[in-house]
Amino acid sequence: MAAVQGSIVDAKDEADIKTEPATDGFGNNHANDAGVLSASPSSTAPAGNNKPAAGAPEDQQTLLAVLQFLRKNKLSESAEILRREAGLPEEALDPKGADSAGSGLGSGADIDGGDASALLSRVTVSAPGGAKAPTKAGEDQPDVNVVLSAYSQQGDPALYEVYYSGLKKFIESVLDCHRAELSQVFYPLFVHMYLELVYNNHEGEAKAFFEKFSGDQECYYEEDLRILSSLTKKEHMRGNETLLDFRTSKFVLRISRDSYQLLKRHLQERQNNQIWNIIQEHLYIDIFDGMPRSKSQIDAMSGSLAGEAKREANKAKVYYGLLKEPEIELPLDDEDEEAENEEGKPKKKKPKKDSTGSKSKKQDPNAPSQTRIPLPELKDSDKLDKIMYMKESTKRIRLGPDNLPSICFYTFLNAYQGLTAVDVTDDSSLIAGGFADSTVRVWSVTPKKLRKVKTASDLNLIDKESDDVLERIMDDKTASESKCLYGHSGPVYGISFSADRNYLLSCSEDGTVRLWSLLTFTCLVGYKGHNYPVWDTQFSPYGYYFISGGHDRVARLWATDHHQPLRIFAGHLADVTCTRFHPNANYVATGSSDRTIRLWDVLTGNCVRIFTGHKGPIHALAFSPNGKFLASGATDGRVLLWDIGHGLMIGELKGHTECIYSLRFSRDGEILGSGSMDNTVRLWDATKAFDDLETDDFTAATGHIHLQDNSQELLLGTYLTKSTPVVHLHFTRRNLLLAAGAYNP
Amino acid sequence: MSAPKTIPKDAQVMIQILKDMGVTEYEPRVINQMLEFTYRYVTTIIEDAKIYASHAKKSAVDADDIKLAIQCRMDQSFTSPPPRDFLLEAARQKNQTPLPLIKPYTGPRLPPDRYCLTAPNYRLKSIQKKVSSSAGRISVPRLSVGAVSSRPTTPTLGTPSVQSVSSKVGTPVSLTGQRFTVQIPPPSQTATTKTTTAASPAVSNVLINPSLIGSKNILITTNMVAQNAGGDGLKRKLEDDDDYDAL
Repeated sequence: MAAVQGSIVDAKDEADIKTEPATDGFGNNHANDAGVLSASPSSTAPAGNNKPAAGAPEDQQTLLAVLQFLRKNKLSESAEILRREAGLPEEALDPKGADSAGSGLGSGADIDGGDASALLSRVTVSAPGGAKAPTKAGEDQPDVNVVLSAYSQQGDPALYEVYYSGLKKFIESVLDCHRAELSQVFYPLFVHMYLELVYNNHEGEAKAFFEKFSGDQECYYEEDLRILSSLTKKEHMRGNETLLDFRTSKFVLRISRDSYQLLKRHLQERQNNQIWNIIQEHLYIDIFDGMPRSKSQIDAMSGSLAGEAKREANKAKVYYGLLKEPEIELPLDDEDEEAENEEGKPKKKKPKKDSTGSKSKKQDPNAPSQTRIPLPELKDSDKLDKIMYMKESTKRIRLGPDNLPSICFYTFLNAYQGLTAVDVTDDSSLIAGGFADSTVRVWSVTPKKLRKVKTASDLNLIDKESDDVLERIMDDKTASESKCLYGHSGPVYGISFSADRNYLLSCSEDGTVRLWSLLTFTCLVGYKGHNYPVWDTQFSPYGYYFISGGHDRVARLWATDHHQPLRIFAGHLADVTCTRFHPNANYVATGSSDRTIRLWDVLTGNCVRIFTGHKGPIHALAFSPNGKFLASGATDGRVLLWDIGHGLMIGELKGHTECIYSLRFSRDGEILGSGSMDNTVRLWDATKAFDDLETDDFTAATGHIHLQDNSQELLLGTYLTKSTPVVHLHFTRRNLLLAAGAYNP
Repeated sequence: MSAPKTIPKDAQVMIQILKDMGVTEYEPRVINQMLEFTYRYVTTIIEDAKIYASHAKKSAVDADDIKLAIQCRMDQSFTSPPPRDFLLEAARQKNQTPLPLIKPYTGPRLPPDRYCLTAPNYRLKSIQKKVSSSAGRISVPRLSVGAVSSRPTTPTLGTPSVQSVSSKVGTPVSLTGQRFTVQIPPPSQTATTKTTTAASPAVSNVLINPSLIGSKNILITTNMVAQNAGGDGLKRKLEDDDDYDAL
């Protein structure tokens, strides 16, 4: 076969030959035509072979169509040969209705990835002069129409509108219980049909199609539709990676079996092959047995760029438990604590129903093993830190609905909207801000000033054996309240302190992630990997590893001593805007502009969970301290709560009116704080939100979720700032809430 | 919005575009920024297209030239991230290798020095004139300095110098941040000058031997921020070194 695409389709044909007669026809004709184009008579032989019964009407029609096509292209000799071999009568054939079903190109071939380019190549090579005859919508020559339109530049977009309206009418006429589910089909169908028209250069028709039907779509697709409306030519689609991904990946719909049967029956009996083709090619229908879902249930879960998540995407086992804390010998004055923590487990780890709270030495079945991923060993300084941590935890205040935390707000003045990232160390001693002028500034929260380490020659002079050597290495002459770190060449979008307070990470629009030393206040390493803006970065809770996510739609796992990433988490359809480690450092959650959240396994790099439901890009993620739940906030102003083990949405907190930029659980997981652009901090009752759902009988099979509309009850307090959006939240070890933002009058 | 007649047409169009794209709140300067960008982009494309047209020996620029110009610019300035299948393939390969084990007790865990930013980012010029008359003051540790050009009038010393042990280019990290004031006894003067005025920017390549420093208690502070090798000497205020020993 001369043409490459012909050969591809040919191969597919041989496989599909007996299974899908309808679509097979296209493939055959493709092969035929491609063969004919190279004018080899042997190509007609396959045509002959592929006719199961010579007299079958469909095949007859197919052959007629091919014949007609050949005649149009003035390939008279080949036409003669075909006619002779196929035994077709010599007759003038009317141009059959050209079904402008460009989707017929797909011919049921599920080429995932590369589909767009294949499509493109087919379209560009397609011969001109296809039949332009108008619609014969209900005609029973689907094969012919589709075949011809495959080679016609000018399909009939009136058909698109007709088909779409037809489907609309049908869906409006079904039973109520099915209607909600079937309405899910509208949006992806609309987008794909529109894109088909644009690809085939039917600008005017595409525009008309858009204007007629875009208003019917769900309101949460408004942003996408607006972007789509600006896309009127094929060339516009070239650089838009998100859109190309949308075309090549399958939009997932979850429909109950009954509804699906209805739809299938309707489409097949009306021989609406065009819509059927689009559905087969671009949509993945995840069928479940059970009750159809209601509109509100569907609305809760939909909204992402690729539909919902397939059920098997959320079936992998996730070890959401926490790692065992190592044994630490506490100093003598903490003996009473030691008695309680026989295995060195910090006292705080007794959240409600946490299975690891028991004093037994049994491994939590839900926790990963200590050696699942290599973690750095504890140094002496780390052990001292842990002792401090345990001491502080004893003084921690127990929060609850009747015992709300005090909030201390750190306002960045004179930032002129330049504050882009904030982080606070775990012991709340340092606060760092990343700014749009590419600087990073570190402040000391405590009265203790920031000092640099002495120079090497001075270090030689000090007494290394003295007890306060850690104090002596600091150069008091350099003490100051804040230190500024220069190095980036673009706005700094993410900052993260390391657990041992020695390092600071910052990621910026210049595509690098920089590691700064907080002892010398200089830059140590620049990690280059993303070549595009990096939106977020975070150190792992144990140090050594860190993750970054950026515009190139992947998140990367790095270790401080490797200049290249260790893992690449690819799968999102749009930028990765938020990256967070799970408390046990074995999993990474990424939130993205494609409105989904994915949970990745650090060990294998696989995506183990996909959470859909947000209607806007996700900007905040927070794991609960017991590792079981995830909270996420997006530009739609909702906070969604997810159960990681089951992979389901378990709660929705409505209240914020603008984008949520920060989420944080209190130290014991009782309270969830959320900060947003609407200048408020809201506190939610996390124990109550997770309370009713500690049971294990989720209907994970159907994905039916029953969200209670109890946001009002869960809201414990709303605290307004004076025109200062809240960019960061942090609970101190004693459960005081720190918040940070830049004053923006 | 002010009366339309005071806003040029281009700006009106831009406002409309912003509205169509759903951008409702923006600072007024955004319009100027967008217009500038538009103007620059369009002129670049048209100029490129003119070049292509003349290369193809066409008398007038036509749509194909514009298309080609746009394509070339897109590939050059407005690159987009790699396509999804490429990323998935790269991820698959990367994720196959197991996570490396962590060696214990290795101090700060940083990549090999080549990939770090901890090395000095300057290099020193070599000796132009050797310091001959310093024979009598051999006890002076020899310092390698950057180009010294202190003007005769100022009592300051421009010594953006760093010591290099055995003239290795890569000085050890620990030396960064050290500061030394150096008096380079000029060839023609006597010893007891506190400040020196180098007659020429001659540099003497001197080696500091730290062991010599100890007993003399010479407090040497230099200016470490020499970015360019051979950069002009930085005028610095001479520090008040009480321990300063006449060299």
